[in-house]
Amino acid sequence: MITFTFYLVALILIFAAISVITVKNPIHAALFLVLAFFSSAAIWLLLQAEFLAITLVLVYVGAVMVLFLFVLMMLDINVAPLREGFVRHFPIAVFVGGVIFVEMIFVLGAWHQAVPPETMTNVPNIELLGEVLYTQYVYPFEIAAVILLVAMIAAMALTMRPHTRAKYQKPEQQVNVRREDCVRLVKMQAETKD
Amino acid sequence: MEALLYLITTILKIVVIVLPILLCVAYLTYAERKIIGYMQVRIGPNRVGPRGWLQPIADTVKMMFKEIIIPTNANRLLFVIAPMLLIGPALAAWAVIPFNAGVVLADINAGLLYILAMTSLSVYGILIAGWASNSKYALLSTLRSAAQIISYELPMGFALVGVLMAAGSLNLGEIILAQEGGILHWYWLPLFPLFVIYFLSGVAETNRAPFDLAEGESEIVAGFHVEYSGMLFAIFFLAEYANMILISALAAIMFLGGWLSPFQGSFLEPVFAWVPGFFWLVAKMSIFLFLYLWFRATFPRYRYDQLMRLGWKVFIPITLVWIVVLGIAILAKLPPWFA
Amino acid sequence: MPGLHEFLILAAILFCLSITGIFLNRKNLIILLMCIELMLLSVNMNFIAFSYFNADIVGQVFVFFILTVAAAESAIGLAIVVVLFRNKNTINVNDLDTLKG
Repeated sequence: MITFTFYLVALILIFAAISVITVKNPIHAALFLVLAFFSSAAIWLLLQAEFLAITLVLVYVGAVMVLFLFVLMMLDINVAPLREGFVRHFPIAVFVGGVIFVEMIFVLGAWHQAVPPETMTNVPNIELLGEVLYTQYVYPFEIAAVILLVAMIAAMALTMRPHTRAKYQKPEQQVNVRREDCVRLVKMQAETKD
Repeated sequence: MEALLYLITTILKIVVIVLPILLCVAYLTYAERKIIGYMQVRIGPNRVGPRGWLQPIADTVKMMFKEIIIPTNANRLLFVIAPMLLIGPALAAWAVIPFNAGVVLADINAGLLYILAMTSLSVYGILIAGWASNSKYALLSTLRSAAQIISYELPMGFALVGVLMAAGSLNLGEIILAQEGGILHWYWLPLFPLFVIYFLSGVAETNRAPFDLAEGESEIVAGFHVEYSGMLFAIFFLAEYANMILISALAAIMFLGGWLSPFQGSFLEPVFAWVPGFFWLVAKMSIFLFLYLWFRATFPRYRYDQLMRLGWKVFIPITLVWIVVLGIAILAKLPPWFA
Repeated sequence: MPGLHEFLILAAILFCLSITGIFLNRKNLIILLMCIELMLLSVNMNFIAFSYFNADIVGQVFVFFILTVAAAESAIGLAIVVVLFRNKNTINVNDLDTLKG
């Protein structure tokens, strides 16, 4: 059952990855990437990494990919010039990818450790992870938090532009307006028509 | 054989959970029209069946027989998939909701995290619907509501962090059991700010009034589902109400003790001992659902910048401060909640 | 249950696909970012597979940090893309030759 699930999900994952790199429309590519993240979350669940699997869905599918889609939908990108050279580069791309894959397979084949003994623990994955994360790895954890903070501020600083031309209402000034500031009563003689 | 049996029983369980939810959704629309009707001193639907009780069924039949119009140049596949992407997570999240002691489809350890992940997926339905319908209004509303949903996910997540700190577990059943001991032991009291913020963020997450900028009938003509008609539109409708029920159920579970009786520990406990836990859960959910409808009848719609300011500059700071306060209370073992 | 090799091969396939993707879509900045995400995903898959088969939780801790850094990276990357598009009205890598001497 698990083996069947693994192969099914792995096939979907590979199909999604191929689609990400080949489809024309970047929005479709982003959606296929979402599918890829989802399938890998399923595979991580098979490996009993439930916290990371759900975090992957939460962080990547729920936030990062939404950001990607958001940017793609907001920018009016002309896809045609970006696709130039797709066919021309196809052979070399496949060649390089294939060579790297073959190398990796050789490394894997030379390395004999097929199925190590599986240990089953009853402690939930989240507890295990939390224990290590907050004791042994507490400084890296803090640094990761700082990295996120820096990234947040950097992203805001990069994209924020001051609204120089935008007009705002200032309610406090509007409320404080007195008649004397705006209206000047002028006494003058009635003019006669001559 | 065993696997097949397991599959069949699981599917049966799913049907047993999903069908009542869909029925609830149908009658929630009726309740909404009736309640808002009375709030606005009119009667509401009363033509179909006695007192209009068959109105939702008539609506469903009408929706089913309407033509589904797909705009020219719309992306057909995504256009059709979008509503399913919206309703899928809304129903999938029910897998970890405990209806009574031990009555839950999937009793997983990371229940709360799973709920967060599922609710964060609902934004895809809206994004894809707006983009695939090839319409300016739909796209504008999509960008609006995507930003809104992502912004309000943060205070919602922080409120849930407070709950999991207090309960010391991510499992929803254990969160309920941690609140045992009567109405004053539930988390609505020690986590009151988080409770309020959770529910208000839930209203914003489900795109309901007064945060219904994604729909905004009066400005962007129904927003992201402007091009949808017939059954596809009905699925959007279903998903919105299913999400409302989900948010209500979660609020009831995390802050009002789920299926626990409010009279636990008082002299009334034996009097109400015969009431099943499921009834209490439904009663607590109804409070929140009524609040949803009450809000809609009462408040005018927020302006977009006000909505964003509320989320980022009011809700998030309050939740952050309260998490610190909560941490201190837990360290001090403040009775009766954290003793 | 498939063995460690299956998971590693799957990760290798993903990694090679993403490298191929970088070659194929070398003009589209956003697709490049997506390919990098895919690459990090395959690395994470390796880490989790090793963590499971060696019964060592530290691999998952590493994945946790990779996820954090990758999220930060894509946020800043997209911010740069947005600024770029605002200023030059293109995200084509070929058009970004202002620094050419």
